[in-house]
Amino acid sequence: FMKYFNVLTGNRVITKQDLEPILNDFKTHLTKKNVALDIAEKLVESVGTGLTGKKLSTFQGVTSVVKQTMEEVVTRILTPKRNIDILKDVQNVKGKRPYTIVFSGVNGVGKSTNLAKVCYWLTANGFKVMLAACDTFRSGAIEQLRTHAERLNVQVFERGYGKDAASIAGDAINYAKETGHDVVLIDTTGRMQNNEPLMKALSKLVNQNAADLVLFVGEALVGNDGVDQLTKFDQSLSLIADSTRAERRTIDGIILTKFDTIDDKVGAAISMVYSTGIPIVFLGTGQNYTDLKRMNIKSVVKSLLT
Amino acid sequence: MVLGDLGNQISSALAAMSNTTIINEETVNNLLKEVGNALSKADVSMNLIIQMRKNIKDKIKLDQMAAGLNKKKIIREVVFEELIKLLDPGVPAWKPVKGKPNVVMFVGLQGAGKTTSVTKLAFFYKSKGWNTAMVCADTFRAGAFDQLRHNATKAGIPYYGSEEVKDPVMVAKKGVEIFKKEGAEIIIVDTSGRHKQDNELFEEMKQIETSIKPDNVIFVMDSSIGQAAYEQATAFKTSVKVGSIIITKMDGNSKGGGAISGVAATKSPIIFIGTGEHIPNLELFNAQTFVSKLLGYGDLSGMFNK
Ligand SMILES: Nc1nc2c(ncn2[C@@H]2O[C@H](COP(=O)(O)OP(=O)(O)OP(=O)(O)O)[C@@H](O)[C@H]2O)c(=O)[nH]1
Ligand SMILES: Nc1nc2c(ncn2[C@@H]2O[C@H](COP(=O)(O)OP(=O)(O)OP(=O)(O)O)[C@@H](O)[C@H]2O)c(=O)[nH]1
Ligand SMILES: [Mg+2]
Ligand SMILES: [Mg+2]
Repeated sequence: FMKYFNVLTGNRVITKQDLEPILNDFKTHLTKKNVALDIAEKLVESVGTGLTGKKLSTFQGVTSVVKQTMEEVVTRILTPKRNIDILKDVQNVKGKRPYTIVFSGVNGVGKSTNLAKVCYWLTANGFKVMLAACDTFRSGAIEQLRTHAERLNVQVFERGYGKDAASIAGDAINYAKETGHDVVLIDTTGRMQNNEPLMKALSKLVNQNAADLVLFVGEALVGNDGVDQLTKFDQSLSLIADSTRAERRTIDGIILTKFDTIDDKVGAAISMVYSTGIPIVFLGTGQNYTDLKRMNIKSVVKSLLT
Repeated sequence: MVLGDLGNQISSALAAMSNTTIINEETVNNLLKEVGNALSKADVSMNLIIQMRKNIKDKIKLDQMAAGLNKKKIIREVVFEELIKLLDPGVPAWKPVKGKPNVVMFVGLQGAGKTTSVTKLAFFYKSKGWNTAMVCADTFRAGAFDQLRHNATKAGIPYYGSEEVKDPVMVAKKGVEIFKKEGAEIIIVDTSGRHKQDNELFEEMKQIETSIKPDNVIFVMDSSIGQAAYEQATAFKTSVKVGSIIITKMDGNSKGGGAISGVAATKSPIIFIGTGEHIPNLELFNAQTFVSKLLGYGDLSGMFNK
């Protein structure tokens, strides 16, 4: 890991002065790994506060103590606080009603493609899945979904372009119920998080149809904007109230896509989870149906710190 | 809009400097730290920031400045210059030539905004009286041809693509041939999204380039891209003859600093920015205005002459 000077001391107390240059280098390192600057600052700050005044054991360098603590902190951040078990949740409502998943996010991040991957995965697990073409805006969006549906041998529910997405989703869910589908995967139009009318429309789609799971699809490529995207999507979901729920509607999980394009610059994963606590449910690792993976926390932490 | 926050941050850093009466090493260091942070938050490559800070320091030789010189003004100008240098590779932007076919090839990462920008650019030239056409050489992405067809139809621009032929090299070649015969002046070829980690996709891109011999290759970049920007852009530049850059999605909240990395990596100028999903949402880019806007000042040339 970088060329830190190792202070070799036994039983010495770690001072602020010891830590400062090391933490500074760490901050730069994290930023190079694509951790958002604010988050990198907070991370090193909390490591610094935790270590100041601590005793060094014999022959332990300050740098290695910092690295070890950082490793622990990041591992803790990435370890989900709540567990999302989609297969179990789908199984729980199977036979009563279809389970609904909404794929949301800014433009071009991979919503539709990863929706298709999730469809492949659910189908492989024996569920009857239907796609709902609720991106009624972007040219070719419906044909894109239709192509995936054909390849995956599932049905796609569509009502053409220019229509109200929320009501199409509602019709799709009703249709899925009638036809005995277990899951409805709802594709949505990409939208910028600062576009209020469009964010309201998403909130309407989610709440009006009481979606079971709302996923935020974000790119591993994204820089400092990632946190803003995720927070704004999370907040916007409660713009329009859901009468069936007592608690505030939020993003339930993240799909972090294009993980195959970033080498070891894994910082977006840390920035997003650190700032919201929302767990990463899947990583998108390519353009094929099987390129949907669970995150291996250990290897992400290793990429971040080497 | 565009880079507004970054501009404010740098402006306030410069203003803070103006408010201190003594200009010494420490003032300069603080200023550079502020500027560095602002650029880092805007996703400018960390290595570029480090280099830029060094450049500025080298240029500002406090002890050698003659007494009576306005040191603050000099420092400010150096910061301006360096920022502009980052955005301006010093080569003139490619311009199509009237009365002959100009072939333009679009390349970039997945979901960057290529297909959308192809139509925007074609429409831009069409509005200026050029005879334009579009070719869909993305035979990979589901619904890619439908997307281009819808857009082209909306913009009233002739297009070519194929449902059957799966080899993008053949489709590109055929499309370009057809439109050359028909006397199109600007023929824009859309290609699939790809990334440097996938050799086959890069090989394919080179083959398309070889077969259509484009007069210009445009690299399309998403303004929200983080620290992976530099390496991806470098890889594109070393594989095909990238000559210009288009930055998309500038209507979002991202600061677009990845663009600076893109320029540095490809030594190519940014020619347009995308500011929305609709066909006319394309604006001409100008480095000078961009930076003076970025710094919250009106006309930059005015500043230097004072
Ligand atoms: N390399 C890579 N490419 C991906 C991944 N996921 C999606 N893509 C590609 O990213 C591009 C955009 O994917 P889409 O699924 O159309 O994205 P979207 O979010 O639905 O886009 P809009 O609906 O236009 O907002 C396509 O070229 C996909 O093949 C991934 O995990 N890795
Ligand atoms: N808000 C906004 N959205 C944009 C802009 N440019 C493109 N988009 C959107 O970004 C998404 C991806 O755009 P595409 O043109 O399909 O991207 P692409 O690079 O062709 O994608 P692939 O072919 O899959 O690699 C679409 O939803 C576009 O509408 C822009 O300037 N602003
Ligand atoms: Mg989509
Ligand atoms: Mg495309």
